Amino acid sequence: MPESRAKAARGRVEEGGESMNHQELITLFSEELFIADLKARDRDGALQEMVDHAAKAGIIRDRDVILGMLKNRESLGSTGLGLGVAFPHGRSLAIPSLMALFARSPKGVDYGAIDGKPVQLFFMFIAPPVEKENRYLPALGQVVEMIRDEQTRQRLLEIKSFPEFRSLILGED
Amino acid sequence: MPSLNEQLLLLVALQDLDTMIREAEDKVHADKLQAMGFPLEGVDDLRRARKELAESIERPLLTRYERILGRLGRAVVPITGDVCLGCFAIIPTSYTSAENRDRILQCENCGRIFYWPRGT
Ligand SMILES: [Zn+2]
Repeated sequence: MPESRAKAARGRVEEGGESMNHQELITLFSEELFIADLKARDRDGALQEMVDHAAKAGIIRDRDVILGMLKNRESLGSTGLGLGVAFPHGRSLAIPSLMALFARSPKGVDYGAIDGKPVQLFFMFIAPPVEKENRYLPALGQVVEMIRDEQTRQRLLEIKSFPEFRSLILGED
Repeated sequence: MPSLNEQLLLLVALQDLDTMIREAEDKVHADKLQAMGFPLEGVDDLRRARKELAESIERPLLTRYERILGRLGRAVVPITGDVCLGCFAIIPTSYTSAENRDRILQCENCGRIFYWPRGT
């Protein structure tokens, strides 16, 4: 087994029978939903910039509905889990299929994260209310797990393009 | 892209919020998120937001929404093809014209309200 495949297999998470490997995970992301240089410096601005980006890419139609849902989700409890990473997520009728977006803020965003630290890495997941393949929580869980590794976080701060992001997720070093 | 009927968008937002509250109160779902490290202590804030949002919806429409929700669990369904995802009945083609996507239409079979998440 090549090293990349072995790494991906090790990265598999089990979640009450649901699991997702890195090959499946990377198919959810795309070049058009990769933001290397997020400009906003506060939470609402960052959410808006990411949602606007998805709207411009033609992925979503009613951006205000999605934005409202994401803000409500933050009032349930911050998705900024600490160590400079946040995972804005939720379900909305306004998304036709599961969407994953990666954004990086070189300067950091004041996000109200659990540890109070600015957030530099964002993984956004928006799922429809009913999803045939049930990939939403396994994908979220996989990324949360992956990001615990300090080296991975450091690399995410340094990469410049989507192909590099893809290689990093797949463990192709 | 035509802008959707404002009242329909409020219903969509209300349905999203109801989905979020229901999942936060669902032990299996909440346990999964908490195991990942997500705190879920703001359910009361969500209920307050829900009350505020509901007040901005016209009374007869809200009543209709609540009635379908109480009876069927979900009141608004996204339509991406020609099938109602609530009951899987075929939607008449006269319903699916572009101008109808801005109107509040209900499934003739189950009564759920339609919403087209795609612009086309
Ligand atoms: Zn129906």
